[in-house]
Amino acid sequence: MVSNAKELAEKRLARLMAAMNLEEPDKVPLAGVGGDIVPAYSGLSMYEYCYDSEKALKAMENFLKDFPCDWPFAASVSGLDGRVFNVAFSEFPDISINLTFITGPMHDVLGDKYYRYPGREISEDSSPQFIGGSFMEADEYDKLIEDPVKFIAETVLPRACRNLETPRKAMATMVRLGTEISKFNAMMMQTVGLMQELGYPAMALGGAYAPLDLIGDFLRGVENLLLDIRRYPDKVKAATEALVEPIMNYALAHKNIGATLAFIPLHLNEYLSPKLYKEFYWPTLKEVIVRLVNEGFKVMVFFEGRHDAHLETILELPKGWGVAYFEKTDVVKAKEVLKGHTCVMGGIPMGLIVGGTPAQIDEYVKNLLEKVKPGGGFILAPGVGTAPRETPVENIKALIEAVEKYG
Amino acid sequence: MKSPEELAKERLARIEAAVNLEEPDRVPFSGVGGDVIAAYAGITQEEFCFDYDKAKEAIVKFNRDFPCDWTFAAGFVGVGVPPFTYAFADDPDVSATVGMAMFGTIHDIIGDTCTRYPGREIERNCSPQFIGGKFMEPEEYDDLIEDPVKFIAETIIPRICRNMNTPRKAMAAMIRLGMEAEKIKNFAIEVGKELAQLGYPAIPITLGYTPLDLIGDGLRDELNLILDLRRYPDKVKKACEALVEPILKAGLALKPLGVKYAFIPLHLNEYLSPELYNEFYWPYLKEVILGFAKEGIKSFVFFEGRHDAHLETILELPKGWGIAYFEKTDVRKAKEILKGHTCVMGGVPISLIVGGTPEKIDAYVKELLDEVKPGGGYILATSVGIAPRETPVENIKALIEAVEKYGKY
Amino acid sequence: MLDEILKSIVEMEEEEAIKKAKEYLDGGGDPQKLLEVCRDAMGEVGARFEKGEYFLSELILGGEIFKQIMEFTLPKIKGESVKKIGKIVLGTVKEDVHNIGKDIFKVFAEASGFEVIDIGIDTPEEKFVEAVKEHKPDIVGMSCLITAGVTSMKKTVDKLKEAGLRDSVKIIIGGGRVDESVKEFTGADAWADDAAKGVRLCKQLIGVEG
Ligand code: B12
Repeated sequence: MVSNAKELAEKRLARLMAAMNLEEPDKVPLAGVGGDIVPAYSGLSMYEYCYDSEKALKAMENFLKDFPCDWPFAASVSGLDGRVFNVAFSEFPDISINLTFITGPMHDVLGDKYYRYPGREISEDSSPQFIGGSFMEADEYDKLIEDPVKFIAETVLPRACRNLETPRKAMATMVRLGTEISKFNAMMMQTVGLMQELGYPAMALGGAYAPLDLIGDFLRGVENLLLDIRRYPDKVKAATEALVEPIMNYALAHKNIGATLAFIPLHLNEYLSPKLYKEFYWPTLKEVIVRLVNEGFKVMVFFEGRHDAHLETILELPKGWGVAYFEKTDVVKAKEVLKGHTCVMGGIPMGLIVGGTPAQIDEYVKNLLEKVKPGGGFILAPGVGTAPRETPVENIKALIEAVEKYG
Repeated sequence: MKSPEELAKERLARIEAAVNLEEPDRVPFSGVGGDVIAAYAGITQEEFCFDYDKAKEAIVKFNRDFPCDWTFAAGFVGVGVPPFTYAFADDPDVSATVGMAMFGTIHDIIGDTCTRYPGREIERNCSPQFIGGKFMEPEEYDDLIEDPVKFIAETIIPRICRNMNTPRKAMAAMIRLGMEAEKIKNFAIEVGKELAQLGYPAIPITLGYTPLDLIGDGLRDELNLILDLRRYPDKVKKACEALVEPILKAGLALKPLGVKYAFIPLHLNEYLSPELYNEFYWPYLKEVILGFAKEGIKSFVFFEGRHDAHLETILELPKGWGIAYFEKTDVRKAKEILKGHTCVMGGVPISLIVGGTPEKIDAYVKELLDEVKPGGGYILATSVGIAPRETPVENIKALIEAVEKYGKY
Repeated sequence: MLDEILKSIVEMEEEEAIKKAKEYLDGGGDPQKLLEVCRDAMGEVGARFEKGEYFLSELILGGEIFKQIMEFTLPKIKGESVKKIGKIVLGTVKEDVHNIGKDIFKVFAEASGFEVIDIGIDTPEEKFVEAVKEHKPDIVGMSCLITAGVTSMKKTVDKLKEAGLRDSVKIIIGGGRVDESVKEFTGADAWADDAAKGVRLCKQLIGVEG
């Protein structure tokens, strides 16, 4: 059994790696679904899933056993994006890498205004939410530009987190945060063990962020930032440039844990015209990606929303740089544009899995794969990994079977 | 052959009988600890202070081979930064975490300048040292009095700890401390489990401090403080008063763990005339002891040095308040005065174990027990629990045997 | 006036004592006489300590007053006229960092006319040997507050023997962790766990009237 699991993991990894390296694997790799369906499948509330690591782990095990895939990328622990903390601690590599996900208990400890958690600000059955906010004034760009880490750590975080308001509170909070990190890491270790048992490849995932997103998500708020781009274009640009270095420090810190794949979720891409995208968003994102590639990483970028307008810019990256994971962008078109240059991932609208029938899913996958399979370099995945609670399990099964059949 | 559970129960009953001023089946014996633990396991002090697994093995090995009733003295692995816990007195969960974190790894994380560790500031095989220092000026007494926790957290700690002298470094250090504390907690749990298998009772302990000692050890340095007593007597007194509450809060933070004793080592007691002792030291120490008592926690006071001049003050405490552990005070005399009121602990000079012979030890213990055993209320221990590296193991064995031989009631 | 100074020191009146000492010198008083009075005062403080009337805090404060007066008195005394009755090399032994006891002993030894060469704390055996070679003292004083220091003292004595220096000096040990058995174990000539007694013994060791 153990050696079986090991073989299985190796096979799955080979499949994924082949796709990432733009080759044809034995079968189209499937990145599985995750999200709210994972706790729901085991009858757990979202609250339990976020706050009771033992139950969460068990739920993950149940889910992954019954719905196998090649890469359970989306089925891991629930935490929300904490990149502002990564940047605040980017001088301290050992700490920085631990704050990519802010879990429920960490949220409690920080008392932050960025997130809302089930059983806290929202009902026990809601999934955790990122709400962001504005924690920096427009006239503070100069401070951000001058020393982004200092400004974020010493000015922004005390505003954004109730429990960091005074130095004394901050000290106590940080001790608690440390113990939560320790517990979270212990759980991650268990998760890795579980994955290995179930025959999943253990892939340490790194991370980075688009500088403009950091400003939009954590500092100014998206709406303010969109206005800032018109009102103070030079400052915004200078700020994105200033953020590259700390983001790189955070991203490269993952070398120490042997990560070779860095994940970057994009947020503002869909909001921007190609002109603004090219001026404010892409240059520094590109710099981050290219530097990561030069350091031996593959990068996996999640292009949220519709990225159609900016597809061509991806070709400016070095061939084989990584994985372009699309949410609403038409992957057939994307595959067309990026073929032989970039591994494409995505393809299954979550709506289909939630609202469709097994027959429809079978049909859809068949059609899709016919178009995108040839030549390899493709990973099949739901457009967003997070499946809602009501997702019919027979549809997930149907997806898995369809890939088996046509992949 | 007794099961570990039976053995632990028996040992605990023995200690508790003595604390309750009764006669147990035998005089309870609190074992030695200190450098000899690492030396006996063949590891360096550096390993003992920085390697949880090795430290655990060494502690377990030592307690397996040198059985005693109470492993109290073997429970200290490192030295801490006295004011540190009190910076978190308003956050009991954190102060509990921080209070347990006396380990070399924590020294590395916070970069404090008041301790020195083997393989860091001192040789690999030296035991860790608390060296103290002056971290507060006399003009600052008012700040200390006004808000001691804030003053310690925001002014003193950044001065003591190199890795906490900017807000950002402080936050990073605290995260690391929290991460490490989880490991230390696991270490403590593991040690506890293994000692339980050896038949040792779990006797969780919290720490207390005498306000004046906290000022002396952690803020002003002893010498300056002695001069402050004459120069700014009112401020010193007010500062002592202000520190009682944080000391109790931090000490009680461990109460949820089922703590029954608060260990309070005294430092300046020996320095002070009865007049100064009764003015600056005792009232506040007494408040701390009574504060713990109110919460059902008995104090376990280590009267370092010679406490002869102040012995009578102990009688002001309620009968059965706790344990009086004496270092250089003659326990015969102490027992005489405190009989029926306070459990007395100590009696065997550590120099006898280091430099004596098994015969001398046997004879000494026989004579000692003849005098202090009757009536119970007595725990035998060496004058200081810290036995140096070179302590001959046959002397430790001789001590154990002598208690077995002459300690029965 | 001198009587008042003596009384102020003995009674721990820090400001008074210093003020009066300054006045005395400003009024043309003899610094040599002032020094002697201060020494007498320290002797009295020590005596009260030995009798159990005074405690360590009084020793420390007394030492502090003495040091402060000496600061402005000694420069006024011509070098040769400060007579020394003997020389002591003093240190806290290896692995021990306690210095308070050593420093008190030093002040009292100096107050009674010894020249004291203080070689610090956590002092390696070799450093004692070197200091003896360099300063040729009459007495080596070791201070020891922790049990681990007991072996350090023994090793230091052994090293002095090896270097052939043992017979040229008297060795006195002091500090909270010494007693008769430690004296025997280490091979020292005398021990004292109080500064006043220590000074008396030092005088005896070199044959000066106590
Ligand atoms: C104050 C104190 C400290 C202070 C020291 C401040 C300083 N700058 O010196 C601080 C807080 C820094 C400290 C640190 C430590 N301490 Co401490 N400390 C004490 C304490 C409470 C008082 C010591 C003291 O200064 N007494 C006052 C002086 C004036 O008395 P004295 O040294 O006996 O000196 C008198 C005489 O002996 C004589 N004298 C002294 N030297 C000499 C020399 C000669 C030649 C002569 C003739 C006379 C003489 O004159 C003095 C005046 O009468 C004692 C407990 C106690 N009551 O003894 C523990 C004590 C000495 N410390 C102890 C320990 C364990 C430590 C630490 C190791 C703690 C730790 N784990 O880190 C560290 C030391 C590290 C090291 N390796 O040295 C233990 C030693 C145990 C042992 N048997 O080994 C003691 C006994 C406490 C205990 N009971 O556990 N300590």
